[in-house]
Amino acid sequence: MSNALSAADLVPGEPALDEPPRASSWLRYAALKAGGAVVSLIMVVLLGFFAFRILPGDPVRSLAEGRRVSAEQMELLREQLGFNDPLLTQFLRYLTDLAQGRLGYSYTYSEPVLNLILDRLGPTLLLTGTAALISVVLGLWLGQRAAWRRGSLFDKTQTGLALVFWSVPTFWLGLILLLVFGGGLHWFPTGGLVTAGTTATGFPLLWDVARHMVLPVVTMVAVVYAQYLMVMRASLFEEMTSDYLQTARAKGLREDLVRRRHAVPNALLPTVTLIFLTLGGLVGGAVTVETVFSWPGLGLLTFQALSAPDFPLLQGTFVVFSSIVIVMNFLADLLYRFLDPRLRAA
Amino acid sequence: MSTTTGSAGTRRVNVAAARRRQALADGWKEFARNRAGLAGLIILLAVIALAAVIPLFAPASVLDVTQVTAGRNEPPSLANPLGTDPAGRSVLALLIWGARISLVVGFAATLVSMVIGTVMGMAAGHFTGATQAVLMRLIDFFLVVPGLVLAIVLSSIIGPGIATIVVAIGVTSWAGTARLVRSQTLTVEARPYIERAWALGASDAHVIGRHVLPAVMPLVLANTTLTVGSAIIAESTLAFLGLGDPSSVSWGGMLKSALDTGAATGGYWWYVLPPGLAIVLVVLSFTLVGRALESVINPTLRGR
Amino acid sequence: MASRSPIPTDGPLRPFPRGAGLRRTAGAGLLAAALTLTPGALALPAATASEKAEDTTLKLALTGDIDSLNPFTAILAASTNILLLQYEGLVTYGPENNEIVPALAESWETSEDGTTWTYTIGEDRKWSDGEPVTAQDAEFTFNAIAEDDTLKAANGTLLENIDSVEATDDQTLVITLNEAQAPNPGADLAIVPEHIWSKVEDPSTFENSENAVGSGPFTVESYSPSSGVRMKANPNYWRGKAKVDAVTYVPYRNSDAAVQALLNGELDVVGDLTPAQYKALESEENITVNSGAGRRYQALNINSGTINSEGKLMGDGNPALQDIELRKAIARAIDSKTLLEKVLEGLGEQATGEIPAVYPLYHWDTDEELPYSYDPEEANRILDEAGYKMGPDGIRLDKEGKPLKLRLAGSNSKPTHAQMADYVVPWLKEIGIEATTEIKASGQLNDDSILGNYDMYFTGWGIGPDPDFQLSINQCSSRPNADGTGATNESNWCSPEFDALYKEQHTELDQERRSELVVEAQKLIYDAAVNHVLFYADSLEAYRSDKFEPFTTQPKEGGVILAQNGPWGVYSATPAGELEAAGATSEANPEAVIIPVVGVLVVGGLAAFFLAKRRRATADDRQ
Repeated sequence: MSNALSAADLVPGEPALDEPPRASSWLRYAALKAGGAVVSLIMVVLLGFFAFRILPGDPVRSLAEGRRVSAEQMELLREQLGFNDPLLTQFLRYLTDLAQGRLGYSYTYSEPVLNLILDRLGPTLLLTGTAALISVVLGLWLGQRAAWRRGSLFDKTQTGLALVFWSVPTFWLGLILLLVFGGGLHWFPTGGLVTAGTTATGFPLLWDVARHMVLPVVTMVAVVYAQYLMVMRASLFEEMTSDYLQTARAKGLREDLVRRRHAVPNALLPTVTLIFLTLGGLVGGAVTVETVFSWPGLGLLTFQALSAPDFPLLQGTFVVFSSIVIVMNFLADLLYRFLDPRLRAA
Repeated sequence: MSTTTGSAGTRRVNVAAARRRQALADGWKEFARNRAGLAGLIILLAVIALAAVIPLFAPASVLDVTQVTAGRNEPPSLANPLGTDPAGRSVLALLIWGARISLVVGFAATLVSMVIGTVMGMAAGHFTGATQAVLMRLIDFFLVVPGLVLAIVLSSIIGPGIATIVVAIGVTSWAGTARLVRSQTLTVEARPYIERAWALGASDAHVIGRHVLPAVMPLVLANTTLTVGSAIIAESTLAFLGLGDPSSVSWGGMLKSALDTGAATGGYWWYVLPPGLAIVLVVLSFTLVGRALESVINPTLRGR
Repeated sequence: MASRSPIPTDGPLRPFPRGAGLRRTAGAGLLAAALTLTPGALALPAATASEKAEDTTLKLALTGDIDSLNPFTAILAASTNILLLQYEGLVTYGPENNEIVPALAESWETSEDGTTWTYTIGEDRKWSDGEPVTAQDAEFTFNAIAEDDTLKAANGTLLENIDSVEATDDQTLVITLNEAQAPNPGADLAIVPEHIWSKVEDPSTFENSENAVGSGPFTVESYSPSSGVRMKANPNYWRGKAKVDAVTYVPYRNSDAAVQALLNGELDVVGDLTPAQYKALESEENITVNSGAGRRYQALNINSGTINSEGKLMGDGNPALQDIELRKAIARAIDSKTLLEKVLEGLGEQATGEIPAVYPLYHWDTDEELPYSYDPEEANRILDEAGYKMGPDGIRLDKEGKPLKLRLAGSNSKPTHAQMADYVVPWLKEIGIEATTEIKASGQLNDDSILGNYDMYFTGWGIGPDPDFQLSINQCSSRPNADGTGATNESNWCSPEFDALYKEQHTELDQERRSELVVEAQKLIYDAAVNHVLFYADSLEAYRSDKFEPFTTQPKEGGVILAQNGPWGVYSATPAGELEAAGATSEANPEAVIIPVVGVLVVGGLAAFFLAKRRRATADDRQ
């Protein structure tokens, strides 16, 4: 998980040392990054397969736990699910399946894993997307204000508050919000994406979804916005001491103009990368938040797969989650290159 | 390993030691100026001290459910300032005993993470060619892969338990450190005295052991402090997902047991709030200390 | 980091000009605002959408997974409970006392030798689409399973003793068995409509999740994993249309959330409560709690030496446990009364044998003290006598002189296991046995239990109305193969004496005699001290009594509403008299949510506005 959020990564204009800033062309850079992403994807695929083959426990027997299943039925099931084949055959089948977009067959839901994942992808994107957007906007805005008034009451309360929220276990915060605002005050629904059995469409439906989103989104935002705030604040400090700003000031530009035109845009750069790098963390948040609020997304699916346990499903969610994050990071790398004027100028 | 010998060498060592002492004293002064960091440090020391001496005041038998005399789920009273848990044990005693396991898990997981991160980071910075390429790919991979999902996968393979949590957290959290250490390694190795050491025929082990490691250690230390906090949160999260050891008393385990017994909806706030608040307090303290440490270390790091 | 990365730090501290911006802003605490922006006075109605529905709907929590709604393949409890509302069998288990009552068959006869069962289908039985239910439907269902292995997943075992099934006319079905059996062969198997299923190309993959046709009180209208299952009342149900128009199962993965949803009016009935939740809901005004006698036993299973189907010892169980005296002592050291009292807050019943008291026909009912009731002194005496000498550290030595150290395993998905272990470990210490708790993933535990890789573990089985299956898995023929495949044995124990008893009760058609035999069989298991039954936990449920009249429980006295062996509880749902008025007062709160949503939007909007301004500025700058 990325904890590449420490100071060393935040100095704008200091490209990673293994990438000479000007020498390589855009294309070469993109190819290099794409190669890296592909290698990571391959590792996910390999890990996804082998980790689940060394698992203890006979999945078929877990499936039949405590039920009237005869030995013949178990054998039949084992045969159907392909557990009797040699490992290499299973691996090759896994690869060919994967190449065709098949992610195996969930044995708790008797449905292709891909269908289940596609079914849950939308709600997760909605929840994490909204939460990410709000956290980013909130974090960046508060961060730049805090940086600009370093040491002020605003700075102190905002960074203090952010650090406190950041220290809260996500599931615990969610549970308490659920107790207070759900069952206690009856202000918000306690779980799900929409009211059960609703036939609403159009605006009422949107309204219904929005109401269901409030508590999970607030939980997620509270826990993650701190890192955007801190990074924005830190990189703006860095920016404000740089020579060109001093020059701008010396030229007599107004302070807020300096801020708006020079410091903030430049300070945004490392933050953009960070946003993508923290996607992995958001995914982790999705698992707990969705579990607490019964949100029908990929995170909840992961938890269901874990508690069943349904290994093809767990394998599928792992591969999909990781792939999404890897692709996002690749895009971030490209974006970074594109955004940074110092690199783009090359 | 070539160590300096003779009187000139000894003097140099003494000078170096004195300089290090001075640097330490300066560092402490700098640290103490950071009031938040200082407050965090005091809280942490208090918690650690409390966890260390608790057996003197409340022996382990207070955790034995067959020895309890109080009722179940009793609200706070004089005898039990934080009430009792669903088995009738004092929540306060559980909380302090729980600090031990939570801290131990936090530190152990961080140790795993730091060792892997430092070794991988230094290696990736020091070596070149194929070794570096492979290491870099590995670091990048662990950097982007969703840690919690990977930790879930690992835990379901190893089976639930404290050791599992330590391994799962450690193995999924080292990449950031490695990246940091690597860039520091590159910086250090670009310095002139390393060039000299190479010219004098120093070995890889010598350069890494004598020059790179001491230079990256302060950074690793600050990073460690920050990571312990996250590890404690991770412990509670994994416990919440059912991957912990429910029979051992940790803060995450207490919250899990509160959830399992429905304490939250039962209105037994004294069993739901304290472990969560304890986590917040300790994680916050680690973060504040880590930040203060970074502010001490960074100017010297960047004085290049 | 597994859950989140360390917080970013400020980076290098460098002297930094304060700049102009020292004015205080209202921005402080913005996040706090986003979190709490909802003055109570401005609250909006919480559940407008559901209140507006003209239909009366019973809302239930769907806490488990739905594997399938196809009656041939659905195995998981959540699915089978739903299908129990949709399909009737030939006969079913009544609400009174789990007795066999008519379902699709209005009457049936058993031949003298017990091998031929003749059922008469009621003339008034109709499918939900209006077609009559016929004996051919039943014949079709039985034969479909018999002929197609892929349809055996759910109920294949029910057909093992069936030789043939034949519809002699529209109303008459004859089932011929290979050998006589006491359990009614027409129970448990859902009969499907031939006119629907014969047209299905591949019945094993048919999802059957939309506008299904059934014979029970409700049929599935729609299903999606994210919004749950919606069922509508079957107008043609032969016992009469249900009083509610629909039933919805709403997915809730977390029992605390489900309880909050009950309080919030999003659910009407919630089951599987913990004792703490039950006690909390007891005092709620609009909620009535129900503690029904459970169908499940909880036990401590002791590895007496696992023998595989080839008669060889397998697994890594401590060989000392092959001594029945040691097992007896362990049983004697466990105070199951305290466990029930502390772990379940007394919400359960003291146990005897494996068949819970909810089935009085087969339950081992006795007022006498049980042979292995709690008595640590007696346990110590037994161990002393059997030659387990006390070691210097308070741990006894086994016959080979090694300290008696045993592992106690439990599942991480059953919170009570860890709680019980906290008690059992010190109790065993009292009699000189050192036990270590191992909480494992349920799949792992299940595996270990089959392969004999355990010393002791907590187990529990849900028992059906007929005890035949539960007893059958104690036979010597039900031992696993060496690799763990093949049959599953309940306790990895067997005895020829037990096998003889099992066979006798299996074919005994006289109810009274069969009951005696079943009790005898349970006593045999008890005496072997391999599966020490601790208690039968109550099933804890709660419902909105402001919206619904009391439900029919099974059994009638002290029974359960949900998870019955039949459709009775849900079928009996009757909206409370003044539903409208009650609903209006409890939930109308005319402004509920707009404020926080707007709050979040405003915060987001503001921030976006500022960012946009910056962006414009940046663009200017670049020109």
